[in-house]
Amino acid sequence: MIDAETAELLAHSLRRAFEKGGAASADAALDEVGWCEALAAEGISVVPLLFAEQGAANAASGALDDLMTAMLGVPPGRGTAFVLPEFGGGVMPGSVRNGDLAVRGLGTARMAAAEHAVVVTEEHRAAVVETASLRIRPVEGIDPRLGLAKVEGAGLPAAGARATDAGWTEALAAGRLALASEAAGASRTMLRLAREHAVTRVQFGRPIGSFQAVRHRLAECLVAIEGAEAALAAAVEMADGEWPARVPPVPAAIAKALAGRHARTVARHCQQVLAGVGFTDEHDFHHHFRRVLALDGLLGDARTLTRELGAELLRTRRLPAVPPL
Amino acid sequence: MDLQEFRAGLDGWLDEHGPELVPPHGPGVTLDAEMEHLSKVKRLTYEAGWMRWGWPERVGGLGGSTLMRAYLGEALASRDLIEPGIYSMTEVLAPTMIEFARPALAAEMVPRLLRGDETWCQGFSEPSTGSNLGSLACRARPDGDDWVVSGQKVWTSLAQYADRCVLLTRTGSPESGHRGITALFVDMDSPGITVRPIQAMHGRDEFCEVFFDEVRVPGDRTLGEVDGGWAVAMDLLPYERSTSLWHRGAFLRQRLEHLLASPPGEALDPADLGEAAQLAFAFHARSRATQYRMAGGERLGPETSVDKVLLATTEQAVYDLVADAAAADVALGDDPDGARWRTEFLYSRAATIYGGSAEIQRNIIARRLLDLGVDR
Repeated sequence: MIDAETAELLAHSLRRAFEKGGAASADAALDEVGWCEALAAEGISVVPLLFAEQGAANAASGALDDLMTAMLGVPPGRGTAFVLPEFGGGVMPGSVRNGDLAVRGLGTARMAAAEHAVVVTEEHRAAVVETASLRIRPVEGIDPRLGLAKVEGAGLPAAGARATDAGWTEALAAGRLALASEAAGASRTMLRLAREHAVTRVQFGRPIGSFQAVRHRLAECLVAIEGAEAALAAAVEMADGEWPARVPPVPAAIAKALAGRHARTVARHCQQVLAGVGFTDEHDFHHHFRRVLALDGLLGDARTLTRELGAELLRTRRLPAVPPL
Repeated sequence: MDLQEFRAGLDGWLDEHGPELVPPHGPGVTLDAEMEHLSKVKRLTYEAGWMRWGWPERVGGLGGSTLMRAYLGEALASRDLIEPGIYSMTEVLAPTMIEFARPALAAEMVPRLLRGDETWCQGFSEPSTGSNLGSLACRARPDGDDWVVSGQKVWTSLAQYADRCVLLTRTGSPESGHRGITALFVDMDSPGITVRPIQAMHGRDEFCEVFFDEVRVPGDRTLGEVDGGWAVAMDLLPYERSTSLWHRGAFLRQRLEHLLASPPGEALDPADLGEAAQLAFAFHARSRATQYRMAGGERLGPETSVDKVLLATTEQAVYDLVADAAAADVALGDDPDGARWRTEFLYSRAATIYGGSAEIQRNIIARRLLDLGVDR
């Protein structure tokens, strides 16, 4: 577990790394900070730190590729991208038919420039393929700054390192913790922007932040964020300190679902408080709103994860485990 | 004793003694019977030592981390041996006595509360003073070394059973606001006190009106400073939102598990169930961190309002699930399970009202945590 001082130092370096803008420079800066080494040394406890900063800064990088890749036991690095499941789902993007590998998924901002991509198949194999053999089509979509790409391929060589079943489940869980942290970071920024507006915008002779209707919306945002962050911290705590970490899947899915759903709550209230100015292209709000909508769809959206959890509880007739006091 | 030892020892003890502690349930069970059962649980756990851990030795405790208190209530609620609403009042009132009463008074009184010999109540709200606590009017005027109290309190939980009351009174001018309030520790058998239970909609008359007519209270029963009652109240309220809520959270988890395991559980909608379980998980995580902050000696403050909003949201989500999945039981059930779901469902509607309404918690969050300045 990372100590508080190291965490603060790392957070500071990360904030600076994400200031520069652009996925390539963010990746270069992550190299300088030693992200992959920090992951190996400190385990899953550095994940919320990095991704909360990335979310707060509206930055994009290949940090998720590194995390997922490393969780599968494949060496991470700037040249290696990771193929994510299709939008909304958490199903492995690869399938093998007659010895040929087919791929259908999403890539992060790293995908276009990477040399290799890691593809997890339905058979729980992690195959490393050349990106040159894939069709990579950038999608602007709801969040152009995130730099997502649609990734497709067929007839690829299926030989690859075998990943265990647990490998994918745990990589997915780790990725969900990362995305939950990123959504929470973006939510924090939306709340900061709305709060700044509420204390400076004057109507009827007083700051709008003095009106209870506005105050309660912003209070609701803080509750939503802190609830999601608490669940996230508990899920991280339930993961063990070894690397690659063992990450319990149910708490990670809970954290991802809460962060995704609560981020929409935060966006709704903050946009209403920001009113007209929050609807302009010039104001930063929409970048964060776009980001949380996009993040919700990566590695399983809130709606799907919530329904899956309910179905699982109906099957086991037990509540999910919680960390004991 | 550390928490792990405490947990193992208590769990073993409860495995053995749990059957003696099972409360009465069912439509015919009165609040009198519930209170009698609560005293018994407190007495037995006190005599076995469990109730004394986590409290200072100078008030009859055995010392050690407050996490043990949190775990005791959790263990009792998880096994359905207590109703935390009435059990956890100790967690609110005893810390106030320890902090603000004369040491000798705290040493004399607190063990009686822990052991279940006595019930105490908290006289804060008044007919004209609900959310706006600083406007309270119940008057205490000095008379020699004593105070003489006249006025009225309302929503005073368990006043009809209470031996003592932590009472907020107006000692400054009527306009003195939060600066002119003094806290007193009042014997409920003092001449001039009349208690009238309020019939509540869920059928459990735990709230009361309390009338004070020239009630004489010795000066040495003052808690904290004269005109310093606001500090007492501000110190007490975060306690209301820490360990008590942890206990309530454990109770809600136990009820949700019961629902899942019982026939109406089959009718649960997966999406609604998933969402309620997520909320319960988040509340547990948040409140657990609060227990650790408290055990670490941190002074709890406005951030506990977040815990209260999360708890109230979770509680209502859980009982909305109940009302959907066990609709016939809630509406018509006359068996113990049905009657209990109905009572609890109705009571859950108050989760956003009692202990500082949802609006007051959001006011606190806006002002103290988001620094939005004053609201007018």
